[in-house]
Amino acid sequence: MCLLKQLFTRRRRYDELSESIREHLEEKVADLMDQGVTREDAERTARRKFGNLTQIEERSRAIWQWPTLESILADVKYAIRQMRKAPGFSAVVVIILALGIGANTTVFSIVDAVMLRPLPFAQPQRLVEVKGSEEQHFESSDVSYPDFFDWRARARSFEHLLSYHDIAETLTGVNRPLRLDGEVVSWEMVPTLGISPALGRGFSAEDEKRGSRVILISHAFWKTQFSEDRSVLGRSISLGGNPYTIIGVMPAGFRFPVTQPNNSFWTTLAVDSDATDIRPLTVNRSVHFLTVIGKLKPGVTITQADQEMKALAASLAKQYPDTNTRHNSAWVQSELASVLGDTSTLLLVVLGAVTLVLLIACGNIANLLLARVHERYREIAMRSALGAARSRIVRQLLAESLLLGLIGGIAGCVLAFISTPAVLRLIGDSVPRAADAGVDLPMLGFALGVSLLSGVVFGIVPALTASKTDLVSTLKEGGYSDTPSHDWLRSSVVVGQIALGIVLTVGAGLLISSFVRLTRLDEGFISDHLLTFTFELPDSTYKDTRPQFYQQYFEKLRALPGVQSAAGVHNLPMTDDLAMIGFENPEHPVPKGRQPNADLTFISTDYFRTLQVPQLRGRDFTDADNMQAPQVMIINEAFAKRYFPGEDALGKKLRPGATNGMPGGPPLREIVGVVGNTRHFGTQREMPPAMYLPVGQLPNWCCLRSVVRTSVDPMSLEPAVLKLVSSMDSNLPVTQVRTMDDLFSLQLAQPRFAMILLGTFAGLALLLTVIGLYGVMAYSVSRRTREIGVRLALGAQRSAVMRMVLHDAAVLLLIGIAIGVAASVASASVLKTTLYGVDPHDPFVLTVVCISVTLTGFLAAYIPSIRAASIDPMKALRSE
Amino acid sequence: MKKKRPEYRDLFPGALELMILKSLSWRPMHGYALAQRLTDISEDYLQIEEGSLYPALQRMLKAGWLETEMGLSARNRPVRIFKVTEAGRKHLEQELASVEKMFAGVTRVLALAGQ
Repeated sequence: MCLLKQLFTRRRRYDELSESIREHLEEKVADLMDQGVTREDAERTARRKFGNLTQIEERSRAIWQWPTLESILADVKYAIRQMRKAPGFSAVVVIILALGIGANTTVFSIVDAVMLRPLPFAQPQRLVEVKGSEEQHFESSDVSYPDFFDWRARARSFEHLLSYHDIAETLTGVNRPLRLDGEVVSWEMVPTLGISPALGRGFSAEDEKRGSRVILISHAFWKTQFSEDRSVLGRSISLGGNPYTIIGVMPAGFRFPVTQPNNSFWTTLAVDSDATDIRPLTVNRSVHFLTVIGKLKPGVTITQADQEMKALAASLAKQYPDTNTRHNSAWVQSELASVLGDTSTLLLVVLGAVTLVLLIACGNIANLLLARVHERYREIAMRSALGAARSRIVRQLLAESLLLGLIGGIAGCVLAFISTPAVLRLIGDSVPRAADAGVDLPMLGFALGVSLLSGVVFGIVPALTASKTDLVSTLKEGGYSDTPSHDWLRSSVVVGQIALGIVLTVGAGLLISSFVRLTRLDEGFISDHLLTFTFELPDSTYKDTRPQFYQQYFEKLRALPGVQSAAGVHNLPMTDDLAMIGFENPEHPVPKGRQPNADLTFISTDYFRTLQVPQLRGRDFTDADNMQAPQVMIINEAFAKRYFPGEDALGKKLRPGATNGMPGGPPLREIVGVVGNTRHFGTQREMPPAMYLPVGQLPNWCCLRSVVRTSVDPMSLEPAVLKLVSSMDSNLPVTQVRTMDDLFSLQLAQPRFAMILLGTFAGLALLLTVIGLYGVMAYSVSRRTREIGVRLALGAQRSAVMRMVLHDAAVLLLIGIAIGVAASVASASVLKTTLYGVDPHDPFVLTVVCISVTLTGFLAAYIPSIRAASIDPMKALRSE
Repeated sequence: MKKKRPEYRDLFPGALELMILKSLSWRPMHGYALAQRLTDISEDYLQIEEGSLYPALQRMLKAGWLETEMGLSARNRPVRIFKVTEAGRKHLEQELASVEKMFAGVTRVLALAGQ
């Protein structure tokens, strides 16, 4: 374009201009000399008549320039020269900034992926989650099918309501049986989410009818299993021994639910209405296990929908008091908020922490720049003496800091690029959607914005300060004038840094101490040397033979070398499996809808011995506890304490609502044992009451997870276990082979990554703060060399000089710590939901942090104080 | 208000440029000759420093109204001669037309005002 051409031809234009002017003057001189003027006078007159030569040439040249851009370019050029002149200084600034911006960009890219991006569905802002709840307790609960059907028929706020729950099925009829994750949904999945199949059709209302078996498959599954064969529509595949017809393929990138990226198929709730069950799930109002998403009608607000659903739930509770008394209310919130749950607090805390780190980094750089402004007073004074306006000097200095900011930002992006995968590994699955984070446009835009912003933040005060330079006195004193106001500025920056550093370190300290407490908590069982895995026994093959299979299987498993004991359990601690069920106490009858609830799991024999849960009273289950024997149960200590306070629970009879095919509904069971409490989730705050039932008395219940106590490294048993299972039935893929320690560690992933990230940031903040304090003290000592020299020459003790410097540092430290502690106390409650067993105002953490900050602070001030004390008065006085 | 540069008092906006264009379209000239010519014709109306021609000349070069070529001065020295281009000629015609219109307007208004 002509702009480019203009750039190239400009040099020639300038030359021509100078030539023209020279010719002009020569002609004029010649004319004047013709009139008899001497050459000297002629030249002088010609120049006078011409005007200010330099200015005119400059103005003429300016015609060819883009004035603002050019002067900015000049500023940048000058800034680069300044950076080259002080490579050490520039390097330090760039490193500090790269750390700050890199950390911020990394965290931002995760926050962006998790919290800011809309859900990958059509009109995601209209999607809401609907939960059931109990009016008094605000505790939300999942939804039962009959309730869902009533909601779907009666609620007016929604275009569609969609129910779903996880399912895992074994794909057979292929080379190697494959365990597939999927979702059982109501038919409105496609219209609710607004994502159509890439191939084939979505579900229709008929597909919900009993006996229907149709599935939509994921693009990834289509690709790996069917090599993207378009004739897959209408084909039948065998899942869990049942034939399913493929009616469509969802587009690549379709994820539903968003937290389950690995789902391979979606089928309708027809699978839950199986007539062979005693009471199909679809007609059982007391089994709550569905999640419900609604798509609001246009113009309907969440509040309106919430009110409608509350009224609806209340009317259902009146209609079905037996089942719905405890579910007499409902709750509507945005789907995004429900996906995020508690993690948004955690992420915001981390984002806040990392912002503080950058702020501290900016403080450091501002202080470094302020120190440099001192050294550059003469240069700046010279520039303003030569006519530079104040705004011009501010702009020049800001250009320098913006350039530093940009370079730091680029380095920070590189750092973020390297560190994001590491942080994502640390986060694992504990934060939904985090895996989507990566280098993308929003992230780079954020980095650029932050770089420029920090350039302004750390540059503006030094620039304004510098531009206020008093010309005359600075030039007169050779640039060595003392301006105490800048010390005041630098000191307040350091105080601010210390305060922020305290806030961060207290936060990290709280998380660390909470995490330590979590890992040291008594789980109620011994978690090392335990191997766990699972496989499903499908109804199609094992409906009647499950107990026999299990008996044989556990016998063989226990016989494997390296196995000390083995057992099966439905809801293993440290997995997310959990079931709650109501129970009836014939001694204290309550109205049907008001029955108490407790955790329920069913187990094989030897379970407590394998996990080494202490047997407190009574006995364990034995093989004799079968359908023919008296029905029995075991409870944990918490259960005994809550429901049989001051009584002996042994021998009492309860009726847990678990049907097992016996006529007359759930049987009355005698409590034959009391065991110790176990922690079910890694972050569980209390040990809840629990009931255990023997698997021999629940033959129709599926399925058991195996747990094996080993005398060798647990994972070394994996091949033997896989071989054993496939030798018994080659159509049973074994999945989730993990040690209990791994499961435990997965449970703590979220508190762990919060602790590590915040700990890293706090460490970084503390380091920067200490460097900042050191910088200020060192600089103040070097500026006061002469003063200290005089003091020493007048007989001051060296120790007194040291004390003086340390005293200055102590004042800064104390003010900073006081402000920091106050701010921590005020702000620590945001951590409340992420802390376990630690008070947000834990005095121990506060004390430790204050002491360590004070100590490191003094260490930072100690070196400058030594330097001050070792000043040679003669040299100091001679040096200026 | 913008401060008027002391060395450049314009009769009306664009007057200097108009004069330069008119002079150069009569005869291409180098800078010094142009300055002399302008001083001669304007006398007291336009007191300019000779140098202030140059920014104006550069502006007009950039606008494409003028071009330069090498030529000889009255003293037979090689100098850069400024010439009006076709675009410059058009611009001059337009400007002259609008100036004439303006003067006609002023005359008419003044005549009416006197009645």
